[in-house]
Amino acid sequence: MAGSGEDRRTVLARMVTVAGGVISAGVAGLVAVVAAPARLTNPRTWRRAATPSDLPSDQPLTLVLTARDADGWYETKKQSVIFLDRDGSGYRALSSTCAHLGCRVKWDETRAQFLCPCHGGVYDREGNVVAGPPPRGLERFNVRLNPQTGELEVEL
Amino acid sequence: MNPRAAALLNWLDDRTGFRVIRHHLLDEPLPPGTGWFFTLGSILLFGLGIQVVTGTALALYYAPTPDHAWDSVRFITSEVRLGSFLRGLHHWGATVVVVAAALHMARVVFFGSYRKPRELNWIVGVVLLQVILAFGLTGYLLPWDQRAYWATVVAINISKLTPVVGEWAAGFLRGGPEVGALTLTRWYALHVLVLPPLLAVLVVVHLYLMRRQGISGPVRERRGTPAAFFPSQAARDLVMAFVVGILLAALAWKGAPALEPPADPAASGYIPRPEWYFLGLFQLLKYFPGKLEVIGALVVPGIAMTLLALLPWIDRGKSRAWHDRRFALGGFVLGAAAVATLTSLGAMDRPSTAATSGWNPQELAGATLIETSGQCAKCHNATSGIAGPIEAGHIGRPADWLASHVVDPEVIAPGVRQPPATNPRETAAILAALARMRSGPAPEQDPAAREAALLIDRNCLTCHRVDGAGGDEGPELSHVGRKYDAASIAKRVNNPVDVKPDAEMPPFGGKLTPAQIQTIATWLAARK
Repeated sequence: MAGSGEDRRTVLARMVTVAGGVISAGVAGLVAVVAAPARLTNPRTWRRAATPSDLPSDQPLTLVLTARDADGWYETKKQSVIFLDRDGSGYRALSSTCAHLGCRVKWDETRAQFLCPCHGGVYDREGNVVAGPPPRGLERFNVRLNPQTGELEVEL
Repeated sequence: MNPRAAALLNWLDDRTGFRVIRHHLLDEPLPPGTGWFFTLGSILLFGLGIQVVTGTALALYYAPTPDHAWDSVRFITSEVRLGSFLRGLHHWGATVVVVAAALHMARVVFFGSYRKPRELNWIVGVVLLQVILAFGLTGYLLPWDQRAYWATVVAINISKLTPVVGEWAAGFLRGGPEVGALTLTRWYALHVLVLPPLLAVLVVVHLYLMRRQGISGPVRERRGTPAAFFPSQAARDLVMAFVVGILLAALAWKGAPALEPPADPAASGYIPRPEWYFLGLFQLLKYFPGKLEVIGALVVPGIAMTLLALLPWIDRGKSRAWHDRRFALGGFVLGAAAVATLTSLGAMDRPSTAATSGWNPQELAGATLIETSGQCAKCHNATSGIAGPIEAGHIGRPADWLASHVVDPEVIAPGVRQPPATNPRETAAILAALARMRSGPAPEQDPAAREAALLIDRNCLTCHRVDGAGGDEGPELSHVGRKYDAASIAKRVNNPVDVKPDAEMPPFGGKLTPAQIQTIATWLAARK
């Protein structure tokens, strides 16, 4: 078989290249699987927030709600700051996380608006964007009145 | 040379070929006119070396978990020998690296060194700049203080704006549902395991290509014979490294970075500020509201970086002389000016609601109670043998532990102690002061100021807010001195109805002595 040495070398070289590619792809795939985050959301739960009589009429009530939550291998007390307010005959719970880049907004009494300290986002009392960069309003959480306890609960 | 030593070196050279390597490294011929401007790359390399050494030293003490990161950094700052200096070196070393990289890049542009045949090395340099910035970003989170946490929240949310892969990228950077333990380990791994070898490989490629193509030399070729890198250019490099080293040491010694309070995801109104080299980007974001955000966050910086990388092909000038390259040079100068302007605008634009570094009256009152009332000091002192003195910067217990402890020390440390005789208001003040003392000692107060803070905390803050502490029944008093002088304030405190017939505020005339009212009024009137 004339020239078979040359053919063998070509075939071998191809095999080495392919095998190298397969091994690299396998390693890269493994790294990707390991590095991809396992879980990106925590399940929502209803949390006790306040009784209706706690709500002032002239401004939303700022609450820090604490719940057990998973943070990696920790079970942490996750603290969520929310604004609870009357909404017609019902209630409204707004997230304090700015819809822009996630800073913590604050209720400003004199302006009667929510202000974000980072990039100047402004929201009205209902959480709608009034000014600044936020692309949408503050996130709303579900609120329910627990008839047994008479307490308002927020789904976070 | 001693013949034995020469024989040994010959033996070694025979086996390793080190003379060829040494010759290659040190005897590189440099074109005539290569001077001080060409030391900038060496300064950058020197800065990166400092970062590797100081970073490794910091890693001896640092623990990348939310439970321990902040405490371990505090430990480095306060306990490790020269720890504060070490942290200062790493902090300011990052600034040296960024500044040196920018100047080195500007040198390459003004000398036209990126032109054929050095285009590829220019691109390697642009990629190196991204790696350097990635180091800055990932390192920022590691102290796990307020500034670190919130700057990272913002950075990760910016990555979310990337079209199509944004959510995926943000999730990958976060590692979990929220910025937390998994984010910290991830960024630590990037900072100390992924980026350093990447940097090393790119630096080696950069230097290899530099040697392969040779140094470009001055804009106009000069006559003369090329001179070896060693010793004349090496001496210039060393002089510069020495100057930069001294400057860096002075900065690190005087200005070790402050450690803010531990990361608190529930803190409202905290104003995160990025490190200065990201301030331009931070400022740019403010000009693109709503759906346009992605333009400021990614499109403009992306286009700028792409244009930068393509500079060798944009610049079609006949020669390296400035007058042949007006377009490319003008563009670069404009871009650099834009970055400088945005950075300084970002530095100047501090929101008016920014928390003052000063302590509010509640915290000041708490500090006074801790320092002078003896309630805490009866156990917390150097000689009691019960508990060590309370020291600013050494408070590692979480807030809920401290709250239980102040109300009833017995709960957490059973045995001898009786709870301090404090009312809830004083307890709150002590806790507020302890929270502030995590990051630094209370300011010095004279006796009048101590009394004013105690009186205001006790009598005014139930209804009024001052510097963020207090109730919201009455008007905020943070800047009351702009409106009223001391006499007018004293009158209002004594009997509000005298000034405003329908005032809801109770009179304090019978409750406080005139001297006490005067103390309060004087303190508040100074609030401009």
